[in-house]
Amino acid sequence: MNQSLEVAVRKQGEVALIDIKGDVTAVTGEHIERAYQQVCGEGVNKVLLCFDSGSYINSGGIAIIIGIAADGKETARIIRITGLSPHFQKIFSMVGLTKYAEIFPSEQAALAQF
Amino acid sequence: MPGEKKMELHVPSVLGFEKVAMDFAASVAKMMHFPEERIENLKTAVAEACINAIEHGNKLDATTSVGVTLTIEPSKLSVDIQDQGSGIAEPPVPDIEQKIAGKDKTRGWGMFLIQSLMDEVKFESTPEGGGVVRMVIHLERD
Repeated sequence: MNQSLEVAVRKQGEVALIDIKGDVTAVTGEHIERAYQQVCGEGVNKVLLCFDSGSYINSGGIAIIIGIAADGKETARIIRITGLSPHFQKIFSMVGLTKYAEIFPSEQAALAQF
Repeated sequence: MPGEKKMELHVPSVLGFEKVAMDFAASVAKMMHFPEERIENLKTAVAEACINAIEHGNKLDATTSVGVTLTIEPSKLSVDIQDQGSGIAEPPVPDIEQKIAGKDKTRGWGMFLIQSLMDEVKFESTPEGGGVVRMVIHLERD
């Protein structure tokens, strides 16, 4: 079955913002990984993952974000997250992801705290 | 059981079809007036059980299907997700520290999420040889 995901990269100062909208799954996750690798290749050390609150995120998608958080820890790159619905904020917290990628209530709040 | 209503759906063993099962369960939960937060929990649990059935039970074989049975009772909704595989083992609890450290694969969260989000969960094998995850969500929390 077709799964769709839109990923786009923006820059704001030293921060790369990766916009993520749609189905965040093991199947589509490579688009997020590619965007992350792109900004890493450009020397960016601060990354904000901007989710759409209506996105569908499953365990395969969570694994992709854990992979990014693991790389961030290894390379001392700061990874932050915003835009998640309250349900997925809870899920990310339950799996322990928020210890490695802090969640912010808005893009502005995340950018102000980098 | 009196007052019990049963519905069934079969989805192909193709990733993405878990969303059809998820929406099926969510629409019934809405009719039962579950709170929105609990419906979101149910949606994730049903999606994860279907993904496990598709990937591990039916080994992504698109000629097989995953059965979704909803049983409505006055105070609870039961959901059985059945595959055509060889049964389900109780999974180990995933450890984020191990995964972040690269000592374990980053996947493996599905059963953990199901057990965390639903009120009752059982992993069983059927007499026909498949695996079934039996989940229950109560209308009112104890």
